[in-house]
Amino acid sequence: MKKKLLSALIMVMLSISLVACGGNQMNSDSDSTQSQTDNENASEEIITIHVFTGLADRKTGTGLIEEILFEQYMKENPNIKIEVEALDGETYKTKFKAYATSSEMPDLLGVWGQPAFINEIIDAGLLAELNPEDYKDYGFVKGALDGFSKDGKLYGLPRSTDIMGFYYNKAIFEENGWEVPKTYNELIELAGKIREAGLIPVSMDGADKWPLAIYLNDLIAKIDGDNGDKISQSIANGDFSDPTYKKAAELLRKSVEAGLFQNGFETTDYATAFNLFANGQAAMYYMGNWEMSIATNPDVLPEIRENIGVFAMPEVEGGKGKVTDIAAWNGVGYSISANSPVKEEAIKLLNYMMKPENLSKLTWQNGVGMSAQDYSGYLTGDETVPQKIFTNILMEATSITGTPINDLGTSAFKTVCEDLCQELAIGAITPEEFIQKLEEATK
Amino acid sequence: MTTKIKNNKKTKVSKIIMMICLSIVAVIQIFPLIWLLDFSLASSNELFTTGLLIIPKKIQWGNYVKAFVDGNFLLYLKNSLLINGLSLVLVICISIITAFATTRMIWKLKTAVKTFLLLGMMIPIHATLLPNYIIYDRVGLTDTIWALLIPYVAFSLPQGLFLTSGFMEAIPKELEEAALIDGCGVYRIILIIIAPLMKSSVATVAIMTYLNNWNEFMMASTYLRSKTWKTLPFSVLEFTGQYSSDYAVQFAVMALTALPAIIIYIILNKHITKGVAMGAVKG
Repeated sequence: MKKKLLSALIMVMLSISLVACGGNQMNSDSDSTQSQTDNENASEEIITIHVFTGLADRKTGTGLIEEILFEQYMKENPNIKIEVEALDGETYKTKFKAYATSSEMPDLLGVWGQPAFINEIIDAGLLAELNPEDYKDYGFVKGALDGFSKDGKLYGLPRSTDIMGFYYNKAIFEENGWEVPKTYNELIELAGKIREAGLIPVSMDGADKWPLAIYLNDLIAKIDGDNGDKISQSIANGDFSDPTYKKAAELLRKSVEAGLFQNGFETTDYATAFNLFANGQAAMYYMGNWEMSIATNPDVLPEIRENIGVFAMPEVEGGKGKVTDIAAWNGVGYSISANSPVKEEAIKLLNYMMKPENLSKLTWQNGVGMSAQDYSGYLTGDETVPQKIFTNILMEATSITGTPINDLGTSAFKTVCEDLCQELAIGAITPEEFIQKLEEATK
Repeated sequence: MTTKIKNNKKTKVSKIIMMICLSIVAVIQIFPLIWLLDFSLASSNELFTTGLLIIPKKIQWGNYVKAFVDGNFLLYLKNSLLINGLSLVLVICISIITAFATTRMIWKLKTAVKTFLLLGMMIPIHATLLPNYIIYDRVGLTDTIWALLIPYVAFSLPQGLFLTSGFMEAIPKELEEAALIDGCGVYRIILIIIAPLMKSSVATVAIMTYLNNWNEFMMASTYLRSKTWKTLPFSVLEFTGQYSSDYAVQFAVMALTALPAIIIYIILNKHITKGVAMGAVKG
């Protein structure tokens, strides 16, 4: 009996090891045939472009739009083969670092046009320079290319314009006779009224911390108005003594003390914050324009999704900024690898994607966000309310903040700055300590 | 007489208390699985309503269809099974052989070698991620099955060696001596005498290796680029949006991913506790 069992075991082991070897052989075979075909293809000029993107979901949203464009491009150019590798968020950044050390950097890359991310890779010479002349007719909005440029050279193109604002539930506001606040104090007062009605005033994603940093940046814009590159300067000099910062920090703390955000907002993650609003438990929701598709989201109840309005951060009493000085920036985009063997082809693909009638138009028509290009030619008048309002906010803007404070320094500064914003919000540190620690973080 | 009744009562009471405690533990252990199943059948929007469990308005079998079709489930399952199966066999074979060499055979450096191998337990995966990637890149192993197989075996081996060598010390030497006298060689001793006696510790090593590697994503996402060898955790990723994700489908994928793990655990369950306990004392 035991012998039988043993021989059976050995058989299994042997067969598995055989399979392993066989598998390996097949594998190396296919590898070699692949490299062979690669060589043959080179003579037939079939070119493989390797795309590395941070949009893991390829079936909805911007990921789907990328897929559509890649399909189209391959149809129009039969000699091009596009291979997509998609990871999300932090795993994307880790893999990006790995690629940066290797010989096989993908050709077309998703990047963030913010110093915290892009400066390090530009300095390492990983990104190819693009010719700004090519994009004269692409209708990029003013300043959109700044984040992707360094020392006057262009290294990437932005995919979107991001604007922060308050989504609000118009039905709830009307029922209770509340009005859209014109000033920050009115917003704080409104918070009390909404609390009395048993609702959450503003649903806030505090666990991810960056919405708090942007909220702070939004307040700075309302206090200062158009302040140019003051924040960048402060980070470069390690000097946050300007009273604006302390005032903004105090206002953020004040809104938490007044109960503007839900209880436990510091542990509420993105999806939960979104759903507090989408389920009607919160009257407002502070988030970017990329969530404008909430108005057509079939998972959201019709009585809520059809009643959504948007307003920008209201003016601060005594502040120089107007309501039209908005928190907006061009964050995500694409670059080309400097060492790519198919650099020319990759740039052609990028140029194709970024043509106004492609990415820009599809993004708008699918309601998944706003491109960094002038999309006014594609307005039909049938857009959803959030789409219309965000467009208005952007068109009437007297100034935009650009990259938010947390993304303006190094990647280490980003982590510290976001942590500090959260600690400030929950009252673990005072505004004075916040300023002091922020200065320390720049050193 | 009376004391006997008292004793009976006592044992009854303590039995009841034990049963209550055990069922509480069981509920705590099983609840996440029920929760997983429950959420995988609801729609994404329903997940955020209050209450522990949801009664879905309509049972969403579509989540599972999506998981299978859009999540490339079958391909990834095949890869996961193959990679895990191979690393399992390798880890078990190598740890038994090494354990024999370092506990039974007498040679100069045996303790040094054993300690050196066990040191591997202290190396965190994250520290090796980039250096390994650079080596693979130079050797041309990225995006092959070896890119996963090598680290999976390497990281499970110290633990496997620790458990098997502890267990092996508990096997009486006399058995081997008898075998030697009857004319067994070293290989036959390992195969015919030692290996069958190691069943429970092999089961323990198998479960631990399997559970460690089944859900591993960090290395897989770094070392692989094409679909060919991607493993099951990538399936969850297919439904991760830029900001928010399709949670219901992700739950369905996770339920499907957990299923093989649960089946294997049930099969090997009998042996695992024994293996850990016996290996621990002499380790």
